[in-house]
Amino acid sequence: MNFLGFGQSAEIDIQLDGADTRKTAEIRTVDDRKDKLLLYYDGEGVSGKVNITLKKAGQKLEHQGIKVEFIGQIELFYDRGNHHEFVSLVKDLARPGDLTENTTFSFDFAQVEKPYESYTGNNVKLRYFVRVVISRRMSDIVREQDIIVHSLSTYPDVNNSIKMEVGIEDCLHIEFEYNKSKYHLKDTIVGKIYFLLVRIKIKHMELAIIKREMSGSTPSLFQDSETIAKFEIMDGAPVRGESIPIRLFLAGYDLTPTMKDINKKFSVRYFLNLVLVDEEERRYFKQQEIILWRKGEKLRKGQQAQMTNAMQQYTATSVVRVDPVDDVSDGEDS
Amino acid sequence: MDEQDKLLDDCLRAVKQEAFQMKRCIDKSRLMDALKHASSMLMELRTGSLTPKNYYELYMAVCAELNQLQMFLLDEFQRGNKLSELYELVQYASNIIPRLYLLVTIGVVFIKSHESSRKDIMKDLVEMCRGVQHPLRGLFLRNYLLQECKHVLPDVLVEVANESSPDDASQNGTVLDSVDFVLTNFAEMNKLWVRMQHQGHSRDRVRRERERQELRLLVGTNLVRLSQLESIDIDRYIKNVLPGVLEQTVSCRDAIAQEYLMECIIQVFPDDFHIETLQTFLKACSELQTGVNIRRVVGALIDRLAVYSQRQDTSEIPGHIHLFDIFNRQIAAIFAAKPELPLEDVVALEVALANLALKCYPDRIDLVDQVLQNVDEVFQKQSVEEIPSDSAVSKELLKLLKVPLDHYKDILTVLRLQHYSNLLKYLNFKPKKEISLNVIRSIVDNATVISNLEEVESLLQMVKPLIEDHPSVTVDHTSDEFIEEQTTVGKLIHFLKAPEMDLQCQILGTVRNFFGEGGIHRVSYTLPTILFLSYDLAYGYFLVREEDTKWNKKCQKVFQFCHQTITALAKLELFELCARLFLQGVLALSRIPFDTRETVAYEFMTQVFSIYEDEISDSKAQISTIFLIIGTLQHVSCFSEENHEPLRTQCALAAAKLLKKPDQCRALVAAANLFWSGKVGEKELKDTKRVMDCLKKALRVASQCMDNLVKIQLYVEVADAYAVFQQRGVDAITDEMLIQMLQKIQDELPSLEVSDESVHVNKHFQNCLDQLKKLKPDIPF
Repeated sequence: MNFLGFGQSAEIDIQLDGADTRKTAEIRTVDDRKDKLLLYYDGEGVSGKVNITLKKAGQKLEHQGIKVEFIGQIELFYDRGNHHEFVSLVKDLARPGDLTENTTFSFDFAQVEKPYESYTGNNVKLRYFVRVVISRRMSDIVREQDIIVHSLSTYPDVNNSIKMEVGIEDCLHIEFEYNKSKYHLKDTIVGKIYFLLVRIKIKHMELAIIKREMSGSTPSLFQDSETIAKFEIMDGAPVRGESIPIRLFLAGYDLTPTMKDINKKFSVRYFLNLVLVDEEERRYFKQQEIILWRKGEKLRKGQQAQMTNAMQQYTATSVVRVDPVDDVSDGEDS
Repeated sequence: MDEQDKLLDDCLRAVKQEAFQMKRCIDKSRLMDALKHASSMLMELRTGSLTPKNYYELYMAVCAELNQLQMFLLDEFQRGNKLSELYELVQYASNIIPRLYLLVTIGVVFIKSHESSRKDIMKDLVEMCRGVQHPLRGLFLRNYLLQECKHVLPDVLVEVANESSPDDASQNGTVLDSVDFVLTNFAEMNKLWVRMQHQGHSRDRVRRERERQELRLLVGTNLVRLSQLESIDIDRYIKNVLPGVLEQTVSCRDAIAQEYLMECIIQVFPDDFHIETLQTFLKACSELQTGVNIRRVVGALIDRLAVYSQRQDTSEIPGHIHLFDIFNRQIAAIFAAKPELPLEDVVALEVALANLALKCYPDRIDLVDQVLQNVDEVFQKQSVEEIPSDSAVSKELLKLLKVPLDHYKDILTVLRLQHYSNLLKYLNFKPKKEISLNVIRSIVDNATVISNLEEVESLLQMVKPLIEDHPSVTVDHTSDEFIEEQTTVGKLIHFLKAPEMDLQCQILGTVRNFFGEGGIHRVSYTLPTILFLSYDLAYGYFLVREEDTKWNKKCQKVFQFCHQTITALAKLELFELCARLFLQGVLALSRIPFDTRETVAYEFMTQVFSIYEDEISDSKAQISTIFLIIGTLQHVSCFSEENHEPLRTQCALAAAKLLKKPDQCRALVAAANLFWSGKVGEKELKDTKRVMDCLKKALRVASQCMDNLVKIQLYVEVADAYAVFQQRGVDAITDEMLIQMLQKIQDELPSLEVSDESVHVNKHFQNCLDQLKKLKPDIPF
């Protein structure tokens, strides 16, 4: 009715409790900007106020009921119309009737289960939001407010280093080692590359972090790989016997925890790709999956810890397992 | 190179731009942006297309800018703005070159501001730099590291507490941490430097080696840094420093690096360290690559230590270290380990060793002999025969042989070196001759007297090349060089002199036999000396006649020897010389009245006449010989009338028989002297008649001259002679005769054309008159 210029209309404003004290986090939007939103964890309640402001004073707003919802949903971009809700909580704020003045409602979803982490990928988005709907006969007045959810993990029980010897016969033989297989998002990858045999003219070596996002399910399965980081770890050609240190700070990159089979809709996995480039621009590489996890934020580290972290070096702890597989492949990596 | 210039220009421009932006951000205290620009600036150092020289320029430009950044950061820290996360933040840079340069910059700021453990940061930096394996870029990165850490290397033995956190003493490190740091950096830099040799095309080898030489200073700076650590004493040097340096140097198996680094070690560390580590150092030398110039390395060390041992201000070389023995042993070990070492290097090393021996142990002549023996043995082992004179070996051997010559003022010392002459044999003619000449010069310059027959003999052997011709060398016998050389040889003979005369006699015999072989061009320089010495010797016998009953015999023997010697010269057709030497003999004889001397003297005189008559045909030579004969005969008093008469008559006869009139005239005047003051026994002849005969004949001959000038000149001379004889008591000469002659001359004088000669004649005449007037004031002239 308002498109005709008359009839009552209203503005909905959702104010989450503790908006000025609660921590915020950023998330990528679909159009590649960053949104700064309030941050919630699994099991935390989501409460707040809904302010409804009438546009025209003194005229009543007729409605079929006002409700507030808390929704967690997965959107697959190839299937725009269909949203898969994995959380959906509803509370009625008002029975059908008329609103004659600006009204404020409180709401509180206590101990909400938020099983997954918010995520914006190339083909999929997982989001949580609070939605207020004023139902009317012709068109509802809807207001959504997104929040961000981080899922915290505990320290992994088992966290072996990744050690491997790979090579191309009579051409290149290297041994590499990363200190862990599971890294938290602010972690540092420390390791070394040991050159056992070098018969090619290497120009440089880099470590890349590749994110692989799989979404949908057969037959419409989408896979997307993205190089999140390219980090040069060696310049020039080493000779046999050289060992090159690796120290890569994950904090410098936009990473998410590894996600496996989220609601049977999508997965996000991370790989470390060790790439050697020779003088003819041929690339030799070896990918290793690493598990990323989110660690609970602690207080700011002390000066000394900060430095110790900034100077971590890898010292080999055990004899390297010799991997007979000859799987440095020759060709373009994607 | 144009393209290089352009590339460099582009890089420098980019550096300038980014540096400008960086500094603007610094001014606005926008640290993160400043770092970003610094990082972009550092991207220029990733280039692979600049030559080392140009890369160095670029590097210097970048360093200057980084210095600004560092100052700014230090200021920030001082103002209490602790940026502890910076060490991590700069490591986010995705390219390794900018990342590591920034990390070093920040790391040093942290150390300087005592922000964190110096020891750990140093260790971290030196390890992280391993990521750059490109030789050129790696060398410069590590050079930056070394440069920046220069003033923060801990140089204490016990750790000192931090100002800011006194409990944290363990973090500041000791000098040993500095040693580890520099040694690690050194090893890595050296590996990179060596690797340059093996990269790229083999056709670029020359260029590559040149470039490596340009870069060597970067590697050597590590050693300089080590040497500047003051807490390193001898023990720590032995234990913690040298082994690491040598290990890397030897194991890199690269000749260029090894040679440079070994020299570097010698240059940068103090001499007393070297003395204590000689064994280790020299042992390492024996393990170096074939291409290494061992002789330069070891030679440099020896030279340095030799100089060191000479210095006044140093304490003595510790007693337990015998420099020579150590070097001698270790050099032998090097030879054994490296049979491929070129002979010239072997000899050169021994030269250095000989110098060491002379400087450090000046009294130990046996050590020098040991060195000579070493070389001899090596030559024998390699069955070396004659060494070509232009070869490097020859040059080195020459040097070796000159060492004792230059050092020992006394050549006798050299003669006592048993292996000296052995080595001399290996030399080719030319260098051998050079040594000979050096030997002689040394004797002459130092006035060394050699008085022992054996020594004389060995010396003569040594100088033999000077009396020989050799097919390989053509000698110009009229050249100044040759004359100078043979004159020096002649001088030598004066120094071969024994105090006992019998021995001297033997020596002269030996010397004469030896130099007699010299050939026509040389004997004229050498044999006369022998003759004069012989005459002296005979006189010597005469002086001791009271003590030596056999002196008569001995004198006779000496003159017999002289006779033979001169006759030998005559065989070489050096007739004038022979005549002179015979005459000199007669003069000598005149002083030595031994039994048979008149016979001998007469024999000598007859020899002179027969040479004169038979062999001297040149008129100039004749006249000068006649003068000599007359002069000699006039002086001696060893003849009786029986022998004197034929001799003086012969003189007058010979004078009259000369070819040219002027010669005749002058010779006759001279002969007149003979008849007046010639002596039979001790009595002068004073034979007025014969004097007058001669003078008259001279006047007559003069009058026969066609040339007016010559004639008057002769007149003047004869008139002069008349005047003199009158004065000496020839009373047959009257004043009238004189006046008549003078009048005649005065009449004729004006007819002379004016010339130099006529002026001279006039002057002579005038002098004559003046002289006469003094005696006879009444003469009417």
